[in-house]
Amino acid sequence: MSAIDIETLMAFVDGELDELGMARVERVIAADPELAKRVAAERALKAKLAAHYAPVLDAPLPDRLTALFDQESKVVDIATARRPRGWIVTAMAMAACLLLGLFVGRGVMPTAPGADGGALVAGGSLATALDTRLASAQPANTAIRIGLTFRAQDGAMCRTFQGRALDGIACRAGKTWQLRRTVSDPAAARTDYRQASSGVLMDAAQAMMAGDPLDAAAEKAARDGGWK
Amino acid sequence: MRVTGFERDLMAYLPRLRRFATGLARNAADADDLCQAAVERALRSRDQWQPGTRLDSWMYRIMRNMWIDETRARGRRDALMAPEDAGATVGDRGDAAIEARVELGNVDQAMTKLPGEQREAILLVLVEGFGYREAADILDIPIGTLTSRLARGRAALMERLGEAA
Repeated sequence: MSAIDIETLMAFVDGELDELGMARVERVIAADPELAKRVAAERALKAKLAAHYAPVLDAPLPDRLTALFDQESKVVDIATARRPRGWIVTAMAMAACLLLGLFVGRGVMPTAPGADGGALVAGGSLATALDTRLASAQPANTAIRIGLTFRAQDGAMCRTFQGRALDGIACRAGKTWQLRRTVSDPAAARTDYRQASSGVLMDAAQAMMAGDPLDAAAEKAARDGGWK
Repeated sequence: MRVTGFERDLMAYLPRLRRFATGLARNAADADDLCQAAVERALRSRDQWQPGTRLDSWMYRIMRNMWIDETRARGRRDALMAPEDAGATVGDRGDAAIEARVELGNVDQAMTKLPGEQREAILLVLVEGFGYREAADILDIPIGTLTSRLARGRAALMERLGEAA
């Protein structure tokens, strides 16, 4: 009569019994000190495990986890915006530009939508870095690092860059730099779980390239010539 | 906006997800790698989440499945290198801080020695506070299987961690 099987006892401790079941087990426990001891031990075990893992909840989150959200909110929306789908797309494209603007500065402007939807243009410190920076002479502590400079098959001068929140390839269009490729989560892509972002970008650059990347002298000449 | 809501909710679950990852992976670096990979995947495959279902369960499922894949890929290297009774080397000075530290070490050891299928069941129900139904869904097993894994896991932990818990 007072026998309660072990699974029922656990369900009791875990609050998984219905009201009647809970009441029944409580009555039995009240009349059975051995069982009461058992329940107390199960509860103590549960409390011990909970206490053991609890500090993780209060620990500050590492940047690499919170950063995923900054990058995703920008880049995923940009990707969506490139598929023309009515006014939502327009709204998303505008939102994406605003969001990207937060990162690259105040100078982001959408160009007239072309065949592949709205193009994104670098602004702010990214544009400055693309305009002026030589790969061979970069500040040690820079937030934006320029990689390769090369001539694309369509004739545009292009440069790869790595930023804190965005990696990509920008190509000269008139007086602006159009972002042709972006890697959404560069910090994440640098872990074992994913191919290195620089690898992805290098492959993309390789595919766009006409001839070889510019050497230091040619890069400097291109800059002095206004990236024509 | 729905997208923002999705991300905000996901972000709010981060500390809990990290706790689950810590229980699965057993060291902080692996746990954060796992957490990061799971969040990335969730953000990429947000279309697969069905609104109206529990986002936290969905996230836990993603993380748990990735961990299974990861341990398989590693050939269970970590399991083979499970630490042996680290508490024994600490000594018996009776110092409260040391005791506390050894105590925590004991929980880790006891959890490490559990088979993975019992450990994940214990983590979801006893630590994460999921009901049996949700935990069984996350693990994609029948409730009866879940409760029997829980019972075995509990018995093993009780034996190793003692009743003076």
